[in-house]
Amino acid sequence: MEYAQRAEQSVSLLALLVIWGVATMIVGAVPSLPTPPEVVMAFVDAATGGAFWEEVLLSTFRVYLSFVIAAVIAIPLGLLIGRSAIVEDLLFPSLEVLRPIPPIAWFPALTIILINSANIVRFIIFLAAFFPILLNTIEGVQDVEVEFSQAASSLGASSTQILRHVLLPGALPSIYTGLVNAMGLAWVSLVAAELLSSTGVGYFIWNAFTAGEYPNVVVGMVAVGVLGYVSSALVRWLSAQQLPWLQSTTV
Amino acid sequence: MNERDTTNARTAPDEQHTDSADEKFRSWTESSGTGTVNIKDMTKVYGTDGDELTAVDSMDLHIEAEEFVTVLGPSGCGKSTVMECVAGYLDPTEGEVLVNGEPVDGPDPSRGVVFQENRLFPWKTVTENVRFGPQMRDAVDQSRIERLFDQMGLEGFEDSYPHELSGGMQQRAELARLLANDPDIMLMDEPFSGLDAMTKELMQEKLLDVWEDDDRTVLFITHDVEEAILLADRVVVMTARPGQVKDVIDVDLERPRDIDMVTTDRFNELQRRASESIHDEAERAMEQAEGRA
Repeated sequence: MEYAQRAEQSVSLLALLVIWGVATMIVGAVPSLPTPPEVVMAFVDAATGGAFWEEVLLSTFRVYLSFVIAAVIAIPLGLLIGRSAIVEDLLFPSLEVLRPIPPIAWFPALTIILINSANIVRFIIFLAAFFPILLNTIEGVQDVEVEFSQAASSLGASSTQILRHVLLPGALPSIYTGLVNAMGLAWVSLVAAELLSSTGVGYFIWNAFTAGEYPNVVVGMVAVGVLGYVSSALVRWLSAQQLPWLQSTTV
Repeated sequence: MNERDTTNARTAPDEQHTDSADEKFRSWTESSGTGTVNIKDMTKVYGTDGDELTAVDSMDLHIEAEEFVTVLGPSGCGKSTVMECVAGYLDPTEGEVLVNGEPVDGPDPSRGVVFQENRLFPWKTVTENVRFGPQMRDAVDQSRIERLFDQMGLEGFEDSYPHELSGGMQQRAELARLLANDPDIMLMDEPFSGLDAMTKELMQEKLLDVWEDDDRTVLFITHDVEEAILLADRVVVMTARPGQVKDVIDVDLERPRDIDMVTTDRFNELQRRASESIHDEAERAMEQAEGRA
């Protein structure tokens, strides 16, 4: 079963490569689209130098830092909003107004406030990750059946204990859904933000483009794709560790 | 108020435990032999102006400490509402519910609750569920937890999650979780209705064992006449909505009881009386349900 699944997933990735390869072979279809071998060569070139890895590390670190900060703020806030109608009325409307604004649209406003471009990039990633985590946490808490809270209080749990032992674990599957989405969106907005600043993988792509080094553009794109994929897989792995009751099968 | 001789059940030969944790548990239980429930002129109305539904109307019921009372009523007669008011999940619209002479103010670990649908926490193992109550007070007594696992036949499932258990086992785990807290009062809302006939009988016997061992008040809600009589000291028959006490039947069958008693003449007599009493109410309840549909 597991092998079959692995094989299917490999086919999915191989198909992507094949489509790309075929597209470059149709002469004139997409002029100057780098072929897979060209990109591999460019990657070997980039990988042997230090600059590429520096950008990769920098971007990865940015994403993870902002992601963690977003989670640390959004999860408790979501628990609070999900549990208290008053807090929800006070905070939710203004958050809902901020939510549709694409993170990258904050860039001009942020250049005035934050000035430091590294902070701007961090803040944009933070915004991208923040809302999916918040909304999923709120929804998760509100979906925990009230019967579980009643049972807990009949067993002597205080409201803090109910929060910790009932609402948080009950909402955790939904919170992890939010975290996986947030990780994906964090990488999307990272590249957008870095195109406008002058560091990181996003800048690597933009720089290669302006210099006409098209294979390097694709190297950067693939790097973002792989990093995003691995990061999301990491969150999924963590979720499997934290949600053992969803892994076990019925006897 | 607490005059019933509680030593009888305890001297049954197979119930003489000697280990010290057990003794300690016993003495603590005996010292806390409270558990009266007094429902006084209680009315519960759901909804607001224009769309009101009176679930319970001026109900009076007094339950002695250590008494086993079953409430028998047609579906939708407000019997669950009564229980939720005693549990502290709902406030009566009028009248009051007194436990040990004090008005109920929210849920309390001295009043354990079991429902038809088990409310074990899906994210906790069976052990974590059973330990939950004592753990909240930092008072886990491991030997007691082990004794409960033994008593409820849950050994071997310590690290399983609730969804991995059968329905009967889930209810036993729920019962163990409630008993771990050593409640004075057990509130049970059709706890065995979802089980197959065989499992249901076993659970009824298990519950009788548990109750005869320790001094607890039980308020048990059911729509099953046989179950109501087999378990109870007194059967309270409720009317169709709005729920009121229609009839109270004293069950004078000797204890300890077991399932074989259902074939005795006295049992049949009591069963006939209860069935007659509830019959008209069930008809009324059905008419109500059709009217609303």
